[in-house]
Amino acid sequence: MNDDKLMQAAQKLATEIKPQRDLWPGIAKAIEQPAPRRWTPMLAQAAAVVLLVGASSGVTYMMTKDNAPQTIVASPDMIFEQASFGNRYNMGPGFQDAHSALVADLDAELEKVSPEARADIEANLKVIRNAIAEMNTALAADPENILLQERLLRTYREELALLRRVSGLTRNVMMRNDI
Amino acid sequence: MAALLTAVSSDYSQAMTTATTDEYAEERALIRRAQNSDSRAFEGLYRMHIDRVYGVCLRMTGNVSEAEDCAQEAFIQAWNKLDKFRGDSAFSTWLHRVAVNAVLGRMRKSKREQDRIAAVTEVTPIRVDTGDTGDMRDLSEAVDRLPEGARHVFVLHAVYGYSHDETGEMLGIATGTSKAQLHRAKRLLAQQLKQQGFEA
Repeated sequence: MNDDKLMQAAQKLATEIKPQRDLWPGIAKAIEQPAPRRWTPMLAQAAAVVLLVGASSGVTYMMTKDNAPQTIVASPDMIFEQASFGNRYNMGPGFQDAHSALVADLDAELEKVSPEARADIEANLKVIRNAIAEMNTALAADPENILLQERLLRTYREELALLRRVSGLTRNVMMRNDI
Repeated sequence: MAALLTAVSSDYSQAMTTATTDEYAEERALIRRAQNSDSRAFEGLYRMHIDRVYGVCLRMTGNVSEAEDCAQEAFIQAWNKLDKFRGDSAFSTWLHRVAVNAVLGRMRKSKREQDRIAAVTEVTPIRVDTGDTGDMRDLSEAVDRLPEGARHVFVLHAVYGYSHDETGEMLGIATGTSKAQLHRAKRLLAQQLKQQGFEA
């Protein structure tokens, strides 16, 4: 069969196909999910994540006002697990790569900031990681919970954003020192 | 006779135009209501578009249960993003893109999950019924057997008529890659169909 005939035949293939069962009930269940169930600890964690915006601003202030060389204090290694999604899926390779690269550089980046800033950053990351762990546990028990899935995704983004912010800030500090 | 034909043709066109306009107006009304969180209106949109959404999901995945999940996911995503639909393009086009993204999103799932699906499929193979008959069924099954990248490009470009630019944009690949994948798909399909003694 030549190319033209193949393409002509392809255009005759059905583009509208009726599913073997009605898929609406599953969709209706997902979109009509009642407002978030009682989930106080996780809501508290999510609220904490939102507060990170403010905390990050504080970190920015502390780092930018303090250009003097800092005493480096070694702290226990931060442990990051592979980003997963309710133990069912892992985050995509793009996220994993960016996350791994930032985590690998984190210790070196933290050594460039003041002890106070470092403590703040580590505390914020701890809050995020705890929130992620809690949401993953909840998702493992309720894998179809769309609200949880979205919240977890947002928290992963927050984590990535904070890691990027740390990386960007320390680069800025280095540039000022260089000048 | 010519006048009669013209009159009939004209009436037919008018009827078709009216029907199309009515359908469009009905769709617009359903979209507006759904954007105000009316799930019954959204069900109306689902009934209007499910066959096309499921069609692209089934063609792209080549797997009934995966296609069902993708179609459901597409409508859930569409519901969540409905406020972003401004009507710049046809709703069906917008929904089609959401469906393609839903398929690609599922493809990015963990290797473990893919293995689990593959294992289940291996044990309980489900025949993919696309509604195609005769030679078209042979072609349809050959498309299902294409490697993922080639299959996605072939389905979007050759079956659904998207340009290489649009196909590349939807799949997140370069236009040139889309062309190369189409070439590969055609070569593999020709080989498969030749083995089956398919002549056209």
